[in-house]
Amino acid sequence: MTITVYSTRRIITMNPNRPFATHVAVRDGRILGAGSLEELKGWGKVELDSRFADKVVLPGFVEGHSHAFEGGVWKFPYVGYFDRTNPDGSRAPGLKSIDEVVAALSAHEKTLPKGASLLAWGFDPIYFGGRRMDLADVDKISTDRAVVIIHSNFHVANANTAVLAKAGITRTTNVHGIVKDAKGEPTGELQEMAAKYMAYRAAGVEIAAVLSDEQAVWRFARVAQLAGVTTATDLHNELPDSTVDGYLKATASDDFPIRLLPAFAATAISPAEGVPRLQALVKRNNEKLRFQLVKIVTDGSIQGLSARMRWPGYYDGTPNGVWNVGPDDLDRVLLAYHREGFQVHIHTNGDEASEVGIEAVERALAVAPRWDHRHTLQHAQMADAGQFRRMKALGMCANLFANHLYYWGDVHYAKTLGPERAERMDACATALATGVPFAIHCDAPVTPIGPLFTAWCAVNRLTASGRTLGEAEKIPVAEALRAITLGAAYTLKLDEELGSIDVGKRADFAILDDDPLLVPPEKLKDIGVWGTVLGGKVFEAPRR
Amino acid sequence: MTDPVPFTVIGGFLGAGKTTLLNRLLRDAGRRRFAVLVNDFGALDIDGGLVAAHDGDTVALANGCLCCTIGDSLVTTLLGLLERPERFDHIVVEASGVADPGRIADLAVLEPRLVRDGVVVVVDAVDVRERASDRRLRDTVMRQLQAADLLLLNKIDLAVDLAAVRCWISMQTAAPLLESKHADVPLDLLFGLDRAGGSSDESSAEAFASWSYEWSEPVERDALLAMLREARGGVLRAKGIVRFADSADRRSVVHLVGGRLDVSDQGPWGDTAGSRLVMLGLRPMLGSLPRETTT
Ligand SMILES: [Zn+2]
Ligand SMILES: [Zn+2]
Repeated sequence: MTITVYSTRRIITMNPNRPFATHVAVRDGRILGAGSLEELKGWGKVELDSRFADKVVLPGFVEGHSHAFEGGVWKFPYVGYFDRTNPDGSRAPGLKSIDEVVAALSAHEKTLPKGASLLAWGFDPIYFGGRRMDLADVDKISTDRAVVIIHSNFHVANANTAVLAKAGITRTTNVHGIVKDAKGEPTGELQEMAAKYMAYRAAGVEIAAVLSDEQAVWRFARVAQLAGVTTATDLHNELPDSTVDGYLKATASDDFPIRLLPAFAATAISPAEGVPRLQALVKRNNEKLRFQLVKIVTDGSIQGLSARMRWPGYYDGTPNGVWNVGPDDLDRVLLAYHREGFQVHIHTNGDEASEVGIEAVERALAVAPRWDHRHTLQHAQMADAGQFRRMKALGMCANLFANHLYYWGDVHYAKTLGPERAERMDACATALATGVPFAIHCDAPVTPIGPLFTAWCAVNRLTASGRTLGEAEKIPVAEALRAITLGAAYTLKLDEELGSIDVGKRADFAILDDDPLLVPPEKLKDIGVWGTVLGGKVFEAPRR
Repeated sequence: MTDPVPFTVIGGFLGAGKTTLLNRLLRDAGRRRFAVLVNDFGALDIDGGLVAAHDGDTVALANGCLCCTIGDSLVTTLLGLLERPERFDHIVVEASGVADPGRIADLAVLEPRLVRDGVVVVVDAVDVRERASDRRLRDTVMRQLQAADLLLLNKIDLAVDLAAVRCWISMQTAAPLLESKHADVPLDLLFGLDRAGGSSDESSAEAFASWSYEWSEPVERDALLAMLREARGGVLRAKGIVRFADSADRRSVVHLVGGRLDVSDQGPWGDTAGSRLVMLGLRPMLGSLPRETTT
């Protein structure tokens, strides 16, 4: 078998025995060793590949919390405030005013067939100085076809008059989530259930399948790969047969650029049906597709004011959020999957949700003791030091939503959490100090996938307005790099096969234009990603 | 356009008796075709003899009813149901144990193919107060009680301090309270008066009765609505097509479910004979109502 040795500017291995190297040898898709060329030649005849000679090589990035839905939404135009990378590698420019959004969608509207609905996503009005989009804006795009513009949080949408008329929504409609102006007229802004219902009504139910079909997962994989990711989760999926088939087909291709870990949405069906279903799926795993994770969503989101908060609740006095899956059901479902040896990822945004998640694990362990379960709190954004100590004691992991600091940090500071709790949110330094194994994540499509950006957030803790949110919770660059590689791999129980550049592990690399340990920490997010290597196969990102 | 389908939401905590109630509904549906959206088929434990077809996330019953599991998204499940070729007489959703059933009932307001019927919240007489004292669940319990048009206090045979439970509930909400063991209540009270085949009295327990009014002349709006409001608590359900004096050329539909009273306009009066109102409620309360209203 051919041994390929890549020469590089520097390799950052995440292997403490040999933290840096200049060369890495690959055979059969696995790492034969990292060291000097002389050392690696000891394995036999090698082919030297010097295309990375001026690049810096890291273990392939591991995104522990993302959704393949990211690939689904790229079927529709992106109208967010920030620039974002398309699956084809081009830049979708951020739109800096409501008028820019209207202009872009008016142009797009002309390309649609007669009668089709217009859907767009990623809109975020918080940067427009308080001005909200209204019916007059959206009606400029079209008055006859249905237009629905979904906000970046996926819980709010703006619709046009055609959509409201079809649903019979008027000033007299008294339903939660229909925003009205001072005169009592609907503004076209829809929230929560109303938003979701109208979006699906406009798009047709088939959209659910389109959003996670084979093409969607390809687009997701490409977006991830462009950011240096070699392993990504689809962290909440009911896994209907159509989706599973799409995943199997996509991952069977040599050109599919990532390893994909879907997490089974455990509360969609009863555990009595779900456990055997997941057990059957595990048997269909391949090199790039791994069924093994379980996901349970307990509460809502902080920015949506639907997270479950402990006392004293929201800073602006909003009543407590809502349970998706309450304490009773969490106990029952968690225990069912825990008993069968599965690792469960529990979505908990608010600190009351984290408390309930921790206690559910504690109870499951009392009933069915188990070592190395690694049940993980996903987001755990408000977890405090005490909760981290409990997680540590119970053998739990955390995956912290570092990107929130940048995208919503200002809102959390001023409105939802208040200064103190905003400054200690997504507490990476506390996780480190208490010894809770942790990762950091993007939750794409809620925020763009990009582990270097996520690491930048954890290191600098800067908000969009430039405020430093919690000096004490900053972590060093080296720790942040670990969190997006080996740390994330640990939270997925993959750390023995990937996450570092070490003998025997999979040859999954992120190829960078610059050295993240040498650039100033505030430049971490600006490092170019040349491409990736997955199982020894080179994937060059399209040049922009 | 065909008439919109009545839409009922059953709320209440895990274990309160929602599934027992739905089992009764599916068994005693009569000639009405119910579509029931549930969280878990397994819990329903549908009698095998009743199952006509089982296809993934739906079960069709021999009596024409259909069960769908909600899976992860109520919205897509409901839209999928509405796209099916079959027509149903009534759609019932089992809300999850921690959901706010009032929010789910809003879907019927957003969807022209549906008409909001009622929110029934099943309350476990044994442990409702204990749950309401859990700081993590208190607001969820309260939201459910306050969203209810009609409360079903279940498991009264197991409660040790029923009087205190009743009193506590009456302080939390004004919604009328029905009491039951094993969720055994006349289904007409919860799911409507227009049951095909047989009068509603047949299936009603002793304590309940139906009562109907007919008027040939237009009716004073205020007088009729005042009577219904006064009778709330005793009258648990009312439905009528009424010609009000102040809009004598219109068909006004009066719809009462528990504590909720809606009056809607349904177009021109046309050649319908007189106004007609049917009420269902507690026998003593109905007996005390005036037989005639001033017209
Ligand atoms: Zn989540
Ligand atoms: Zn997520």
